[in-house]
Amino acid sequence: MSVLPWCVAAWLFAVGIYGIATSRHYVHLVGCLSVCQSATYVLLLAVGFHWHAGPPIFYDHPPGTPAVDPVVQALVLTDIVIGATVTALLLAIVVQAHKLSGSVDPQRLRPLRPNA
Amino acid sequence: MMIWLTGIMLVIAAAAGLLVVLSRDPKRQIFALCANGLVLSLLFFALQAPDVALSEIVVGAVVVPLLFLVALAAVAVARVRE
Amino acid sequence: MRTRFRAAALTASAAALFPAAWAVIAAMPPFGEHVSPYGAAVNAVVPAARHVSNMVAAVNFDLRGLDTLGEESMLLCAVTGTVVLLRGARGEGTSGSAVRLPGRAVAQRSDATILVCRFAATLLFFFGVYVALHGLVTPGGGFQGGVIIASGLLLLYLGEGYAHWRSIVRGRILSFLEGAGALLFVLVGAIPLALGKAAFRNILPLGTFRDLYAGGTMVVVNAAVACAVAGGFTLILLEFMEETRAPETEREPGEGG
Repeated sequence: MSVLPWCVAAWLFAVGIYGIATSRHYVHLVGCLSVCQSATYVLLLAVGFHWHAGPPIFYDHPPGTPAVDPVVQALVLTDIVIGATVTALLLAIVVQAHKLSGSVDPQRLRPLRPNA
Repeated sequence: MMIWLTGIMLVIAAAAGLLVVLSRDPKRQIFALCANGLVLSLLFFALQAPDVALSEIVVGAVVVPLLFLVALAAVAVARVRE
Repeated sequence: MRTRFRAAALTASAAALFPAAWAVIAAMPPFGEHVSPYGAAVNAVVPAARHVSNMVAAVNFDLRGLDTLGEESMLLCAVTGTVVLLRGARGEGTSGSAVRLPGRAVAQRSDATILVCRFAATLLFFFGVYVALHGLVTPGGGFQGGVIIASGLLLLYLGEGYAHWRSIVRGRILSFLEGAGALLFVLVGAIPLALGKAAFRNILPLGTFRDLYAGGTMVVVNAAVACAVAGGFTLILLEFMEETRAPETEREPGEGG
């Protein structure tokens, strides 16, 4: 149990990389990228966690009650929202690539060559 | 008790991530993404992070699957038009 | 052959990285036993120093406001990139009707859908404003509230249909909202500089602890971030929706409006 979150984070990242490498559809690839991102969220939040400590919100509890680390939570919070925006940009690139080449298969699209 | 809850949520989150990768059809992957977002937000609740869980519910279970759906529709429309 | 080479490279790199990953996992502190000093200092000092009760929002909008400004500009850049990519290739002339895919039946929207969507969209909009407004006292804040507002506006599309939805939700208002939010954030950072203090210094009166408008400049930054995120997300979804619209010049035989 004391190494489970680190193993889960490493597992999620490895599974995401496997999905990206063996994907046959660009939209599926972007979904696997979001799995890689969730690995970092799990890692960061697990680093800040402390047993028998509450959330870092002192509205109902007086300031001074044991609370978990708020700095990593701030990092993950902005990361989630901005990560969704970057996913949107990637999907726009996928739509454009499909328009220009007619395929969404990563293994069928080759890099551009001059006079190709 | 909290130990078991956190441990179980971590294992379910790992399984949900695997499910997202193993759903090869993008239309099926959208549902897997919804489930992944929900499970992750429950894990963040268990890790005493309510702000982050709120964020993950809205983004991971609503906005990102919607983005995927609309992107797939745009790809299908472009395929029809050409 | 390329897939086999790729799978072989993947397994080789996984085998090479596995001992390194195991060494790192073994060297990490046990889960839940490690107290980070910066976090403990923030929890101890900030309620008295800034009069807010949501530590995460205080770190986001005041203590590490510069990092959040960077994230805000990332949002702006990603939204601009999406709009430029999609709108640039498509042009501006699209009609209000969708491209009809062959073999797909066109379902009529039922009255129940329209009614429920109207209720739910209004509720979601006000809920998003509530979450954004209470960001400094309870869990919530500009980021969460902005995304909730955006999803409420999207629910309107489900109930009203595309043409009506576009007349309610205009692209110009959304871009103005997004840009105004980002500009307000930059101003909150730059005005203390002009007054001779440090950037992002909290120069407004702080208020009483657990009050809704306590926190000084954090209230302004919270509102700015909510506007920017709501405008940005709705704009992204609007641009993607426009991709599925038929161009104005095309008229299929027998096609209605």
